[in-house]
Amino acid sequence: MTISLAVPDILVARARAGDLEALEALYRAFETPVYNLARRMLRHPEEAEDVLQETFLEVVKSIRSYRGEGPLWAWIRKIAASKALMRIRREQLRGVELLDEETAPGSPVHKSLPARIDLERALERLTETSRSVVWLHDVEGYTHEEIAELMGKTVSFSKSQLARAHARLRRMLETEGAAP
Amino acid sequence: MHCTMDDLLALRANEGSAWARRHLDECPACQTELEALYQRVARLKALPPLGPARDRWPAIRDAIVAERRRRVRRWSGVGLAAAAAVAGLIVLAPFRPRQVDAAELARAKQQSATLEEELQRYDPTGRVMSGRSAALVAELEDRIAVIDGELARVGGSEAQLRHDELVKLWQDRVTLMQQLVDAHVTRVSYVGL
Repeated sequence: MTISLAVPDILVARARAGDLEALEALYRAFETPVYNLARRMLRHPEEAEDVLQETFLEVVKSIRSYRGEGPLWAWIRKIAASKALMRIRREQLRGVELLDEETAPGSPVHKSLPARIDLERALERLTETSRSVVWLHDVEGYTHEEIAELMGKTVSFSKSQLARAHARLRRMLETEGAAP
Repeated sequence: MHCTMDDLLALRANEGSAWARRHLDECPACQTELEALYQRVARLKALPPLGPARDRWPAIRDAIVAERRRRVRRWSGVGLAAAAAVAGLIVLAPFRPRQVDAAELARAKQQSATLEEELQRYDPTGRVMSGRSAALVAELEDRIAVIDGELARVGGSEAQLRHDELVKLWQDRVTLMQQLVDAHVTRVSYVGL
């Protein structure tokens, strides 16, 4: 999804001064892209909504440190991605990140999946880590270096996650007549 | 032997090895796989954006307002502490070597606390302001934050600074606070920036 959200400087200045109307206008402008990013990274819609809320509270808290060096969306997006990744890390620490469909014990991919599966559902069947890498790299345009930094991992980790995720997506979508 | 997914991704990023590039030129199967990869990414980019089921703004707004109330209470505490400090300085002033500076410092701190209270009474966060006013307010708040940072840095060991420098910092803070109050109350024209 390509986002080109131009926000007037005057609105940012008012938001920096704590004007509630301006802050709400910013929220309305970025509500969907932030939620969409979080939702693509996380498995549960409720978690994505929590990330949306946490992201904007962070925006409110830190907007005075935003100096307009880059697009506002890039700044907000990085906050949102960090918040979503923090949740994924917490899940991993608790050992509850769900396995890929194909790696789950007793559920080989071709047995468990319907004959045709669309890309959206295939994406949802990846682990949160894999789909995060795919989304951040292929859709949001992050480099492997940026993803590695955000995730606290190596560039090799990001590259191998992307390759494995694409291999899985390809296998899940590889059915008769299915699109690539 | 065909290209692996790593090879295909590297080729997509124009980082493919010499072997992969040569192989791709000759292998229709790998050309098809690379094309499928491009199409998959294009389809990912074209997925419709998802929106939240619930409006989270009311919860965010409530959290902002609650945090501001907490901050006001904190600042009130700072005001009382400053008043106590002023009282202490007045009592101790005769015993201090630099009486003039001490009195000036106490006065500046008191003025600063008074202006904070004045600003809170005005309730700036609950008001809508023009973009120009907002930009000015943000700039003034930034400059005050810099001074506060410097004051916090010296912290309890104010002796690190020469007394006249400390007085100057507090006086600068008072000047900026006054401008901030003016910006909120009487708007930009009186501030003179």
